[in-house]
Amino acid sequence: MAADLDLLQGTLDLLILKALTWGPKHGYAVASWVRQTTDAKLNIEEGALYTALHRMEQRGWIDAEWGLSENNRKAKYYQLTTQGRKQLRVQTARWTEYAGAVFKVLHTA
Amino acid sequence: MRLDRGVAGITRAVDDELRFHFEMTVKDLMNSGMNPDDARREAERRFGDIPRTRQRLAEIDRARIDQQRRAEWWSAFAQDLRYAMRGLRLKPGFAVGVVATLGLGIGANAAMFSIVDRLLFRPPSYLIAPERATRFYFGRTYRGTENVGSYVGYRTYLDLKENTASFDAMTVFYVNEIAVGLGESTKEMRIAMSGPDLWRMFDAKPVIGRFFTAAEDVPPDGTPVAVISYGFWQTQFAGRNDVLGEKLDIGPRKYTIVGVAPKGFTGFSPDQVVAFVPVSAQMGSGEFGGRRMKWYDTYNMTWLEVFARRRPTVTHAAAEADLTRAYQLSYKKGLVGNPGRQPFEITRPRGVVGPILHDRGPKASNDAKVATWLAGVTAIVLLIACANVANLLLARALRRRREIALRVALGISRSRLLMQLVTESLVLAFFGAIAGLVVARWGGGAMRALLLGDTLGADSGIVDARLIVAVAVLATIAGLLSGIAPAFGAVRGDVASALKAGSREGVVQRSRLRRALLVGQAALSVVLLVGAGLFVRSLMNVRGVRLGFDADRIAFVDLKMRGVKLDTAENIQIRDRLLAAARTLPPVESASRGLTVPFWMTWDLDLYVAGIDSVSKLGDFTLQAGNPEFFSTVGTRIIRGRGFSSTDVKSAPLVMVVGESMAKKLWPNEDALGKCVRVDADTVPCTTVVGIAEDIRNGSISETQMHYYLPIAQFHPQDGGVFVRTRGPAESQMEVVRRSLQALMPGASYVTVTPMSTIMAPVVRSWQLGATMFAIFGALALLLAAIGLYSVIAYNVAQRTHEMGVRVALGAQVRDVVSLIVREGLRVVLPGVLLGSLIALAAGKWIAPLLFEVSPKDPPVLIAVVVTLTLTAVAASLAPALRAARVDPNEALRAD
Repeated sequence: MAADLDLLQGTLDLLILKALTWGPKHGYAVASWVRQTTDAKLNIEEGALYTALHRMEQRGWIDAEWGLSENNRKAKYYQLTTQGRKQLRVQTARWTEYAGAVFKVLHTA
Repeated sequence: MRLDRGVAGITRAVDDELRFHFEMTVKDLMNSGMNPDDARREAERRFGDIPRTRQRLAEIDRARIDQQRRAEWWSAFAQDLRYAMRGLRLKPGFAVGVVATLGLGIGANAAMFSIVDRLLFRPPSYLIAPERATRFYFGRTYRGTENVGSYVGYRTYLDLKENTASFDAMTVFYVNEIAVGLGESTKEMRIAMSGPDLWRMFDAKPVIGRFFTAAEDVPPDGTPVAVISYGFWQTQFAGRNDVLGEKLDIGPRKYTIVGVAPKGFTGFSPDQVVAFVPVSAQMGSGEFGGRRMKWYDTYNMTWLEVFARRRPTVTHAAAEADLTRAYQLSYKKGLVGNPGRQPFEITRPRGVVGPILHDRGPKASNDAKVATWLAGVTAIVLLIACANVANLLLARALRRRREIALRVALGISRSRLLMQLVTESLVLAFFGAIAGLVVARWGGGAMRALLLGDTLGADSGIVDARLIVAVAVLATIAGLLSGIAPAFGAVRGDVASALKAGSREGVVQRSRLRRALLVGQAALSVVLLVGAGLFVRSLMNVRGVRLGFDADRIAFVDLKMRGVKLDTAENIQIRDRLLAAARTLPPVESASRGLTVPFWMTWDLDLYVAGIDSVSKLGDFTLQAGNPEFFSTVGTRIIRGRGFSSTDVKSAPLVMVVGESMAKKLWPNEDALGKCVRVDADTVPCTTVVGIAEDIRNGSISETQMHYYLPIAQFHPQDGGVFVRTRGPAESQMEVVRRSLQALMPGASYVTVTPMSTIMAPVVRSWQLGATMFAIFGALALLLAAIGLYSVIAYNVAQRTHEMGVRVALGAQVRDVVSLIVREGLRVVLPGVLLGSLIALAAGKWIAPLLFEVSPKDPPVLIAVVVTLTLTAVAASLAPALRAARVDPNEALRAD
């Protein structure tokens, strides 16, 4: 993904938090889910993905635990914490409001 | 799987995570048709800059882990604190005991530190660059030995200022008690006089107004301006802002107040000062009677100290060489026109650039030495306190053996356990520190007054930053000292055996350490108490010395003329008037004229006796002159012959009364009565000895002075003052006497009334000090040792409840059990007493010069101390012993 990195960072966090709503996932699974859900329109770059994951772990929004993947390989699984869920709610609301405002402007005439 | 939190572990985890993602990417690419190599290459391309990503992720993780670690540490600490507090709340007696013990030890040390700090370490307030500030000392060799002193004359100071280049500020400084105010409110107060450079040496700004300048300090008269101190401004002028321009009477001159010095500023004086004036203004008032010397030009007056600040670019050695050169130059100039002075080569004058603090320089007073000694004593007391606390903590740790063993078995790590126990000690130490601050504040003031009399004024109070730091340091040391050994001991214990053991098993191993601590405590207590005993006996001896006069009932009235000039006849008249007035006062039993005062002012003259070529070779003879009532007023007995009578007037034949030892010295085998002495010159008429009086002590408490008495009508009736004898103790009557007599004084002159006890106080002070301090600390040490012994024995007995039950069941009487326990207590204490006695005897030689007519090996003192310790040990053992004896055997046998 090109363009505005900062804006991307905030959105990226939101996407990852949403991805984890249905239970723990490892980093690859998060990227796959986003790709599938957006019909391959959004592809998250690996470096950005893992930086975001580790930063959110430091902030306490997600917890990490090592486990075994589907094919018995060691993988790091992430899941939402209570604070992470709260962040998801708050940021979703904010992003929706923001998008709505931009939409209104762009479609005035 | 637990996350490995080390640096290597973090990097490994990051690698593993990235590798997993990589493999999954490759797998998916292969599933969608690529061959393995292409898949790998594509995956690598997608991943981008792997090393940088790795590094970034590792950094984030490291930060996270550090954060986690810190939070864990804090929560562990908080938990330890809560646990410790709860434990202490459950056993309040123990906690109070420990806190009180530590508080006393820490407080005493903090107070002593504050005193020693003031004497030896703390530079004067506001001083700029204390490491470069100096006080000058000068060495002069007389009769083969060098005397080092700090006093010189103004002329010398001017020479030094002119001829040195190593100092960027130099000033004289001198403090004297001078009359301030007029009439009835006249009081002698401490006034500092200095040069204008004083203000350059300090970083002080005037609260209001300004400081005096160089233009106001020009000899011979200067300008009468004064800078008053903050304290004086608050008490005398209620801190009024309009005090500037007001006039203040200092000595015989009226000074204009031009400024107020900041709070706590005392210049170079260790005590409070009321005002600072230019030295020329004070000296120019011509208060010096006798010849009118040009104080600023003569080399024959030495009364000032010189303070200076070394330039930063000059080394100490270079500055000292510079000073020596300048001083030698000045000395040579002083020889011109003064042939009586010792030649240069013999005197070998040299300069010393010395430390500001008086007690660190070459002329350190006894006060500093005593204070340092006492600091050592208080340190010993603190050690005793720590030993006690360690004992108490050990006992407690042992009581909790099972609890601790249980926790270890349940998984607590030994380092956590250790931290917990140490936290407990630190919590106790913290409360001990607070208690210590209270003790230091309350007891410190008392100690300062006792220790140094009026030497230290109370400036900013005894609690300040340095003291708090000292207390904190002491508390930490005490806490660690007391807590470490028990904590280690508790942690090292064998878990299994501790769990299995009931309290039936006495703890034998640990008690060796506790025993050693008790022996040490007993020994130290003995040493301190022996010191106390020796000093108390010295003090009693000093007090019992026959002075030859009744010190507690006499006061001396001195006249201070303060610029008022009277001729001889007027001087005689005013003194007679004062004498007559004094006699009418109700508190005064009798009064008499007196010329000299024992331990204060002496006078000696050349004497010529037939048959003796040089009387002065036989010793020093001091004189006194008084009325016929003199002997009854001061309480000196006439042994043989007579005193003075009203017939011994100016025109009558000259008579004298001699002291007993003087009589024996001058006329060893003959009767002194009727002998002829020529006073002051060989050619004058005879003064006949008409009486022999008892000896007095006059300057030294340990030996009598050869002394003689002349009728004041025949010898200087225009000088001297009045002795009054009061009905009760003299101190309480002083103000009354002073006020009545002050009314008779002309102009600005005034009287001072000083009780003999005040004059004598410095003489007894060192023994009084030693006695009080050693007694207090000895009692403290004894108390601590008794508490320690009690706690050890009580604990032992509690452990042996089972055994006691068996004994009682088998028929032991109360008496038997008690004697068993008490004997055990003595068996611990007596080796300590023995050790202490040996130390006290060995150390005796150091203390011997400080005693008065008591041998350091004085048997009664030693015996008394040993008996006291033994009785204390018995008393401390008795309570637990009685409790043990009253144990119900049934319960004890059933108990675990």
